Amino acid sequence: MPKRKDIHKILIIGSGPIIIGQACEFDYSGSQACKALREEGYFTILVNSNPATIMTDPNMADVTYIEPLTVEAVTEIIKKERPDAILPTLGGQTGLNLAFFLMKKGILKKYDVESIGAGVSAISRAEDRELFKKAMQEIGIGVPKSGIARNIEEGIKIGLDIGFPLILRPAYTLGGSGGSIAYNREELEASLANGLEISPVHQILVERSVMGWKEIEFEVMRDCVDNVIMITSMENVDPMGIHTGDSIVVAPSQTLTAEEYTKFVNLSKKIIRKIGITGGGANIQFAQNPDNGEIVIIEVNPRLSRSSALASKATGFPIARVATKLAIGLTLPEVLNEVTGMTTSFFEPTVDYCVFKICRFTFEKFPGTARVLNTSMKAVGEAMSIGRTFREALQKGIRSIETRRFGFGSDGRDKFDDSSLKAPSEEMIGEIKERIRVPSDDRLFYIRYGIKIGLTNNEIYELSKIDRWFIDNLREIVELEEEVKKYRNVKKDDEVKLPEELLLKTKSFGFSDVQLAFLLNSTENNVRTTRKNSKITPSYKLVDTCGGEFKAKRPYYYSTYETKDESKPSNKKKVLILGGGPNRIGQGIEFDYCCCHASYALKEEGIESIMINCNPETVSTDYDTSDKLYFEPLTVEDVMNIVDIENPIGAIVQFGGQTPLNISGALSKAGLNILGTSPDSIDIAEDRKRFQQMLKKLKLKQPENGTATSYEEAQKVAERIGYPVVVRPSFVLGGRAMEIVYDEKGLADYMAKAVEASPERPILIDKFLEDAIEVDVDAIADGETCVIGGILEHIEEAGIHSGDSAMVLPPHTLGKDTIETIKKNTYAMAMELKVKGLMNVQYAVKNNIVYILEVNPRASRTIPFVSKAVGVQLAKLATKIMLGKTLKELGFTKEKTINFVAVKESVFPFIRFPGVDAILGPEMKSTGEVMGLDTTFGAAYAKSQIAAGQNLPTKGSVFISVKNQDKRNMLFVAKKLADLGFRIMATSGTADALKSSDIDVQVLPKLHEGRPNILDLIKDNKVSMIINTPSGKATKEDELKIRSHAILYNVPLITTVSGAQASVNGIENLIKNKAVSVKSLQEYHENIKK
Amino acid sequence: MKAILILENGSCYEGISIGTAGEKIGEVVLDTAVVGYQEMMTDPANAGKILVLTYPLIGNYGIASKFNESGKCWLNALVIKEASRIYSNYQAEGSFDDFLKKEDVLSIGGADTRTLAVEIRDGGEMLGIVSTQSTRKEDLLKKVKAAAVSYKKDYIKDISIKKPMKIAGSSSCADIAVLDLGMPNSFIKQLKTLGCNLTLLPYNTSTEDILKTGADGLIISSGPENDIALPQISQTVKTLIGKIPMLGISTGHEVIAMALGAKLKRLKIGHHGVNYPAKSPTSFKGEITAQNHSFIVDEASLKDREEIAITLRNLNDDSVEEMESKSLKFISCQYYPVSPGFDEVNSIFTRFLKLIKPRFAVKKRVVSKNSEVEHAKA
Ligand SMILES: Nc1ncnc2c1ncn2[C@@H]1O[C@H](COP(=O)(O)OP(=O)(O)O)[C@@H](O)[C@H]1O
Ligand SMILES: Nc1ncnc2c1ncn2[C@@H]1O[C@H](COP(=O)(O)OP(=O)(O)O)[C@@H](O)[C@H]1O
Ligand SMILES: [Mg+2]
Ligand SMILES: [Mg+2]
Repeated sequence: MPKRKDIHKILIIGSGPIIIGQACEFDYSGSQACKALREEGYFTILVNSNPATIMTDPNMADVTYIEPLTVEAVTEIIKKERPDAILPTLGGQTGLNLAFFLMKKGILKKYDVESIGAGVSAISRAEDRELFKKAMQEIGIGVPKSGIARNIEEGIKIGLDIGFPLILRPAYTLGGSGGSIAYNREELEASLANGLEISPVHQILVERSVMGWKEIEFEVMRDCVDNVIMITSMENVDPMGIHTGDSIVVAPSQTLTAEEYTKFVNLSKKIIRKIGITGGGANIQFAQNPDNGEIVIIEVNPRLSRSSALASKATGFPIARVATKLAIGLTLPEVLNEVTGMTTSFFEPTVDYCVFKICRFTFEKFPGTARVLNTSMKAVGEAMSIGRTFREALQKGIRSIETRRFGFGSDGRDKFDDSSLKAPSEEMIGEIKERIRVPSDDRLFYIRYGIKIGLTNNEIYELSKIDRWFIDNLREIVELEEEVKKYRNVKKDDEVKLPEELLLKTKSFGFSDVQLAFLLNSTENNVRTTRKNSKITPSYKLVDTCGGEFKAKRPYYYSTYETKDESKPSNKKKVLILGGGPNRIGQGIEFDYCCCHASYALKEEGIESIMINCNPETVSTDYDTSDKLYFEPLTVEDVMNIVDIENPIGAIVQFGGQTPLNISGALSKAGLNILGTSPDSIDIAEDRKRFQQMLKKLKLKQPENGTATSYEEAQKVAERIGYPVVVRPSFVLGGRAMEIVYDEKGLADYMAKAVEASPERPILIDKFLEDAIEVDVDAIADGETCVIGGILEHIEEAGIHSGDSAMVLPPHTLGKDTIETIKKNTYAMAMELKVKGLMNVQYAVKNNIVYILEVNPRASRTIPFVSKAVGVQLAKLATKIMLGKTLKELGFTKEKTINFVAVKESVFPFIRFPGVDAILGPEMKSTGEVMGLDTTFGAAYAKSQIAAGQNLPTKGSVFISVKNQDKRNMLFVAKKLADLGFRIMATSGTADALKSSDIDVQVLPKLHEGRPNILDLIKDNKVSMIINTPSGKATKEDELKIRSHAILYNVPLITTVSGAQASVNGIENLIKNKAVSVKSLQEYHENIKK
Repeated sequence: MKAILILENGSCYEGISIGTAGEKIGEVVLDTAVVGYQEMMTDPANAGKILVLTYPLIGNYGIASKFNESGKCWLNALVIKEASRIYSNYQAEGSFDDFLKKEDVLSIGGADTRTLAVEIRDGGEMLGIVSTQSTRKEDLLKKVKAAAVSYKKDYIKDISIKKPMKIAGSSSCADIAVLDLGMPNSFIKQLKTLGCNLTLLPYNTSTEDILKTGADGLIISSGPENDIALPQISQTVKTLIGKIPMLGISTGHEVIAMALGAKLKRLKIGHHGVNYPAKSPTSFKGEITAQNHSFIVDEASLKDREEIAITLRNLNDDSVEEMESKSLKFISCQYYPVSPGFDEVNSIFTRFLKLIKPRFAVKKRVVSKNSEVEHAKA
C-alpha cells in the first residue's frame, strides 16, 4: 500500500538520558527513523532531552527540540508545531509512556494527533499487565500464574495464594526497575511497596516464578496488510530470573528443535496480531520449561527495544528503518532490503554465524551492593561479537567488554591458577559451586573453574540452569587450552612450538594471541609473528541477512578463521576510526557521537571511512554510517589484523574515549599512524612528571601534589601539602577509585586497600581545593591556532566529578579576568602540546586563582553538549584538522558567544543499587545527561532538573539537614524557600542555625530520637524536597537512610549547597512562569552571531 | 579421517569425515534454514543430493524419530561446518553423530560452508563428488566431469511405496489419493489432522487404477525433481486433469504444469530454505514460505491457458508459486505447504478440501441417505 498522504508532519519522541535499561540503542533507532521519514518526504519534528545523541543533530530532523520529555513540554511542542502524527515506538519505554500519557490527558485528541507505529490501544494491551494477561489467555497462550496488585494488601493476598518464590513486575517500567524476587512474606511486602511506587500507574504483577527455565526472545514485524515476519530468535544463556538486559544472549537460538522453533514463530505471530501492531515491530519474551517444552509468555515490548537493536546488528536487518516505513503505511514488500539491494524487506533473515552478546557492569563503583544479577537490570553497557562457532564468538565477546580479560580465562588474570585447581581445597570447591549457582557478572569464569575441578556438565547445569550445550562448548575450550599447554616454552623468548594445525584450531576457537602467549609462556608479539609467518590470519566474512544466498551491498564484516576473505580492501585513501566499545560509566554515547562525526567528516573529505566497534547499541555500528564496518573487539590484535589487510593512512583514536587511547601507544609501536595530536603529547598529558614540567615551563598553577608507592611516602606528601587531599591510582577514567581524604587515618585506610601501587603506577596525591569552582573547557586546535568551543562552569564545587556535576554555559559567576586567564592557559597548553584536534581542560578556581586539574588531549564527554549549544560541530572540524586542514580553512577562528543559557545535568542509577549512598564525589557515578535550554539560568536549570527526573517542587515542605560548615550558606537558601511559601523542616542542629536568623522551622527528631521522623514523612509523601549535605568524612548511618529513602520514594534530593542554591533559583522560576516555553535548536542557532 | 568435496568446476573443499566412509557424486545444493537438519536429510525430495547446510552449528538438539520426513536419509552426502559434540533437548532420542552412522551418511564436517555457499551462489548449482578415500583431486575431478555428461536421477522408483496403502480417517471426511513421489510425513500428518481418508499410491499407478480408488481428490506429492520417472507420471496426470480434483505439491506442481504442456526452467540456484516470500499478484499480502526446488514452471509456456490463474508469485524472482484452475479443478503450489505450528494445517489443504467438496457431497448421497443429513451438519 502506498505511503500515507493524509499525514505530513510527524513528531518523533526520543528516549531521553542514558539510564540503565535504556541506552544508545534508541539513538540508533531514532536516527534511522529520522532518515527513513525524510527519505519519504515527511516533515519531521524531534524531541529529546539528551544532547549527546546523533538524532538531536540539527540536520537530522527538520525541527529539533532539546526539551524535557514531559507531558507539559511535549504538549507545548504539539501546540506550536501541530504535527499530524506522533511516532512513539522508537523512544524506548520513555517515548511509549509519554505517548500513553499524552493520550490519557486528551492532548492527542485535542490537537488531533494520531499515534502511529503502535496505536494507544496496542500500547496498553502490551504494557498494562492485566490487559496483557487477558489478551494472552484469549488466544490460549500460557502465562505464569499471577495476579495484579494495586496496593500492598492485595499483593500479599495474591502472593500467599500463589506461593513463594514470587516474581514482582511493575507495569510500564523498563529494565525491570522495581522488579524483584521475593522468597518470603517480609521480602514480598518490601518489594510491593517499592514496585508500586515505581510503576507510573501503580500497578504490579505478582507472579509465579519460573526461574531456571529457558528465556527465549523473538523479534517480529507486522505491516498494515497483516504481513508478519520473524527477524530472529535469541536464546538467553542465563536462564529466567536474570534480566535479558543482563543475560548473556546468543542469536539465533541454539537448543530449539525445528518443531519448537515453529511453535514459537506461530505464537509470536498470534501475539503481534492480538496486541494489534499494524505497522512496526515487537520484542516478545518467552520462557520454556527445559524438561517438557512447556511455553509461557513473559512480556511483549510493542516498540523498538534493546533486543531489537541487537537483532538488527546480529542479522543486518535494519529493524528501526523498516518499522518506521511500516508506520507510515508502507507494506513489507514495498520496502527495499538495502543490504542485498535487490530483494525486499518481506523475508526472514537467516544467518551463517553465531552472535554473542555479553554485558558490561560497574559494581565496583557502587560498593555496598551485592554483586548479584536478578530481574532488575544492572548492566550499563554491552558488547556483541560474531563468530562461525559459539566458542569463537564467546571468546571475542569476552575481550570486547574490556574488563581486561582476553578470552575465556587463561590470560594471566584468573583468580585460581591451574595448580590450585588441580588440588582444590574443600572451601575452594564450595566457593566455586556457590558462584556458579548465584548469577553474577563473572559467573562464566567460575564455570571454567568448575570444569577444571572436574564438575560434569550435569552438575554445572543443576547449579546454574545454563543449558548443557553451552556448558559443553565451554568445556571444549578448556580442553583445547590443555592441549596447547603441552607446548609451553621454558624461556619466554623461545620460539613458539605450537604445531600449525593446532594453532589454527585455537584461533578458530577464538583464542587471542594474549591467551596463547600466556599458555605457551611466550609473548603476544612472538605468537603474532609466528602466526603471520604460517599465514594464519583471520578472514573477514559478510553479514548479509541471507546466509550467502544473495550478493550483499553493505560492507559489514566480522572476522573468523576460515579459508576465504571477503573484505575486498579498496586502494582508496582510507582512515580507521576506533570506536568506544561497550558503554560504561565514564564512557558512553558522547564518544559514539564523536566517532560518527569523524565518519561523516571523512565522507565530506572523500576519504574512505572504516569503523571498528563492538557495541551493538550504537549509531557508529549502523551499516550506513561508515563506508566499511568491522564488528570487532577493540584490542591491539584485532585492530592490527584489520590494519594489515586495509592499510589505512592512519587511525583516529581521540574520539572513542579511553578505549582507543589505551591501545594507541601499542598500535603506533606496531606501525599504525595515529592521526592528530601525537601519542607523545598524549603521554605528556597523562604522565604526571612530564605534565608538571610542562606547566612549570608555561608558569601555570596546579594543586600542590606528589606521588607515593607506600603509606609512608603518602604520609610525607600529605604532611607537605596539607589535608584534605585527593588520592587516586594512576591512569584511570571517570575518577575510578578516587577519594578525598581528610586525615591520616583516612589516608592509611586508602593506602591499605590501595589498588596495586607500584613505581610505574604510583598513587597520585593532590591538595584538595575545598569550595573551589570547577570549570570545563572544550577547545579545538590545529597546531597554530586554538579556538575555545565552550567554557562550562560547574554548579557543584570541585570535588564532584566533572561527569557528575551540573554545568552551565556560558559561565554565570566567573569574572571577566578569570575567564581571560582560563582562555590564555588553554591556548598556551594547546600550543605546547601541539594539539591537532580536540582538547578538554578541567580547571578549579579558588580565590580567583586558576588551577589546572587535568588536560585531556581528546574528545571529552561534553563535546556533543557544547556543539549543540554553540551550533558548531566540533568533532567534525577536529577530524578535518587531523586530515591536514587548518581552522582558518574551515572558517572557525573565533569562539561563539550565545545569548541564551545551556545547562547540563547528569542522571544517576542509584535506584538500581539499593543500599548505596546517593552522594556525589570525585568518582563518577552518572550514566547519562540531559540539556536544559532557556533564556535565563533559572529557567534553563529548572528544565535540566525536570528533564533529569528531579521534579523541583513549587510548594510543600522542604527538609534541610546539613553539615556545620554549610549552615551559613544554607541560611540564604532556607530563607528564600520560606519566602517562596515552603514549610521548612530540619533536625535540631540545622534548625537552631536557621531559627537564629528567624526562619520558622519545624524541628524533626533524629531517626533514633523518635517518630514521626523524616523517614515516616518521606513514606507518607509529606516531604517535597530534601537538602542533605554529607558531613564530610565517613557517612553517618542516619544520612545514608535518609538519602536512600529519598531515592526509593523519588523525592528530589540535593546533596550540595551549590546544588541547593541553583535549585532555589530554578524553583523561583517555575513559580513565576508556570508554562514551559519551548524553542527549537534551529531557532536558537539562528540567533548565534556568525 | 579427511574428507573432501570437489565441484564440477574444479574447486575443492576439505574437511574431516564425520559420517561413514565412501565416495559419492551428486548435485551440490544449499539450504539456508537454521534448524531442521533431520527433516531436510530425510525429505525424499533431497534424494541423491550433496546437501550443504549454510548454518554452521548442526546437531545441537539431537535426533528424534518423530522428526523424520520419511523412513531414511536420502542424501548422497552432507557438508557442514560443525557437528555438535553433545545434544541438548528433552525430546532427543539420540545424537546427530549416531544418526549419521546409522543412516550411513557420507558427511564432511569442518568445511568452510560460507565460502562454498558463495561459490554456488555465483556459479550455480552443479555436480560435486565427496570422497573419504582417494584424496587425489585430479581423479575425483575426472569422475565428476564424466558423470556430468550424462547425469540422470532415478530415485522415485525406490522412494515411492510399492503397493497402495490406506490410512483411515473420519467417515465424514473426503477420501484422498496421494500419488507418492516422496510424500513427507509432515504433509500426511496435516491431512490426518483434517480427518481425510488417505490412499497412498505407487508413482506408476495407472489412470484407471487411480480412478478406481473412487477417491474424491488426488494429491501429487513432492519428491525428487528431474527424475527419469517424471515424464511418464505427467502423462498419467494429463489423462486425469478435469476428471478428479488435484493438488500438486512442489514437484507435484511441476508435474501438473508439464501435464498441461508447460515447460520447466532450472534456476541458477534453487530455492532451498524457509524464508521465501510469496505474494498475491493482486494485493500486498503474502506469506513467508518454506521451499525446496531447483526447477520452476516456465510461465511463457503456459501463456495460452487462460483457465489457469496464478495466485501467488515469488517476490524475489517473480516465479510461479501457486496455480489454480476452477474449471480444471486443481490447485498446485511450488512451495512446501508446511504446518504453521502445533497441530495447525496449511491453508492449501483446506482450500483443496473446499475445491472437492461438491463432488464429494454428491457421492456421499449415493452411498446412503442419512449420511446426507450428517453432511448438512458437517
Ligand atoms: N515469572 C517469572 N519467573 C522468573 N523470572 C521472570 C519471570 N518474569 C520475568 N522474569 C525475569 O525478569 C526479567 C525482567 O522481566 P520483564 O518483564 O522482561 O522486565 P522488562 O519489562 O524490564 O524487560 C525477564 O527478563 C526474566 O528473566
Ligand atoms: N585537587 C583537586 N581539588 C578539588 N577537586 C579535585 C582535585 N582534583 C580532582 N578533583 C575533582 O575530581 C574530579 C575527577 O578528577 P579528574 O582528574 O578529572 O579525573 P578523571 O580523569 O577521571 O576525570 C574532578 O572533576 C574534580 O571535581
Ligand atoms: Mg523484558
Ligand atoms: Mg575529568
